Order: sequence, then structure tokens, then C-alpha cells
Amino acid sequence: MATLESRIGATDAGLVERLRNGDEQAFEEAVTRFYPAMIAVARGYVRSRAVAEEVVQETWIGVLRGLGRFEGRSSLRAWVLAIVANVARTHAVREGRSLPFSALGSEEGEPSVEPERFRGPDDPFPGHWKSYPSDWQSLPEEQLLSHETLELARRAIDTLPPTQRAVITLRDVTGCTPDEVCEALGISDGNQRVLLHRARARVRTELERHLDG
Amino acid sequence: MAEPTGEFEQGYTCKEVVELATDFTDGALTASKMARFEMHLNFCDGCFTFVNQIRAAAEVAGQLSEEQIPEDTKAKLLTAFRDWKAE
Repeated sequence: MATLESRIGATDAGLVERLRNGDEQAFEEAVTRFYPAMIAVARGYVRSRAVAEEVVQETWIGVLRGLGRFEGRSSLRAWVLAIVANVARTHAVREGRSLPFSALGSEEGEPSVEPERFRGPDDPFPGHWKSYPSDWQSLPEEQLLSHETLELARRAIDTLPPTQRAVITLRDVTGCTPDEVCEALGISDGNQRVLLHRARARVRTELERHLDG
Repeated sequence: MAEPTGEFEQGYTCKEVVELATDFTDGALTASKMARFEMHLNFCDGCFTFVNQIRAAAEVAGQLSEEQIPEDTKAKLLTAFRDWKAE
């Protein structure tokens, strides 16, 4: 039989073991480490910050109760995130909200780039750029990663639809794998990528306005 | 600016390529789509640059500081942990 360690790696397995033994420092580590991804998932479902915060707290109670049954079929983080999503769904239903991640695929997506940037159907090269985007690789790193640029990206992410905001935060900000995102949100690999792409495209557009402006 | 060379007529248009950029960077395109995508990038500076911009957007997002757990949330959780332990 595969051990927990062979399934989820020594770091996670060690953490699970310490949590099961009631190690308070391990718990503090876990709540700190998983918080950014947990709050991102919660905010994908519930409207208010305060409720999202409650969802995270309620989740940990569930995690502690379920810890004995955790078998490492997914990473510890993915398992915790799936519980957050579950708790958040319950809250969303109670608030009378529709479940945002279950309506995917039915909505018409905005194009990643404004259609006016491309040549029209009467052009000899329809669908090709009218003028090329500018090359940011020639920009000094300090400019691309300046405080101002980062603030702009943060604002762009904050104003995304909640599903897109959740996925870009999980994938690009907290570094979750596509598998962890699918597992946590109960969506297909294709859906998580569509959401990620739309989110990145919005951030790109904002960066372009700022950097080329 | 330079006219497109026409070499990618059977392939994707730029308008299609921009929608596939994350599929490409995630390595999620099928072999035949990947071939068409790469063919397009070989000839199109605009789309080559666009893909790099999407990578840059992801990189910038990766530099954002993560949300820290509020102290009162942490304190409440530690209390819950002690209660759980005492059960």
C-alpha cells in the first residue's frame, strides 16, 4: 500500500502527521501557508470579505475533523481548498447566490484583445494585427516590476469577475498547479485555463495601457 | 510596418492565436494545434510579442505579495485548534 509520504511528499506528509498529533506550531504554519489560496477560493463564491473570512475559519474546523480520513489522493493544499469550496458553496446558497463555477461554458467570453486591433474581413489579411503590440522584453526589469506596475496589476485582478479572479490568484499569485485548481473548484482543466487566460488577458491590457501609454 | 508575408494563410489568424496563448504556455494544445500555433509564431512578430506579454502578465501577478492572514483570524483559529485538541 502506498504511504501518505509516497503520495503527497515528505513535507505535506510530515505536516499532516504533526497536525494529527496536535502540534500547534504546525497548525500555525498550515493556516498561514494556505491562507492566500483559501481566501481566493472563498472570494470566488461569496460576496463579502467578512463572509469569506468566516468561510476560512469554518473550513479549518472541517479540516481538523477530517484530518484522520485524509488519504493523500490529492495534495494537502488541494484537499483543504476543496473543503473551502464546499463550505463557501453552502454559504453562497444560503445567501441565495447562484454557484459561479457551475455556470461556466454558457457565458460568451469577451475577446482577449479588442477586435479593432485586427484587420477587418475586407482586408487582404483579415484577422491579422493592424499594428503589433510592443515588445516589453526590451523594458528594464525595474519598470515591468515597478511598484506602480504591480499596483496596477493588483487593481486589475481585484476588479475581475470572481471566477477569473479566483483562478488567476490561485495559479499565478499563489502558484497552485492546474490540478489543484480543478480539484478545488470542481471544474475541468479546460475551464480553469479559459478563466486563467481571460484574467491574464485583462491584466495584459491594463499593463499595455500603462507601459505603452 | 511590414505586411504579413502570407506564409501562414492555412494556419491561425492573429485574432485566433491571441485566444490560445495560455493553452500554448501551459502546453495544453494538441500536437496538430501546437504545430499550427508554432508555425504562426515563427512568421508573426506581433503574436510572438503577444505571447511574451501574456507571460509577462503572469510574471507580474506572480510578484504580487500574497494576502496575509489577519491576526484576529489566526487567533480565533488557534483557539479552535486548542478546543479540537481537547476534544
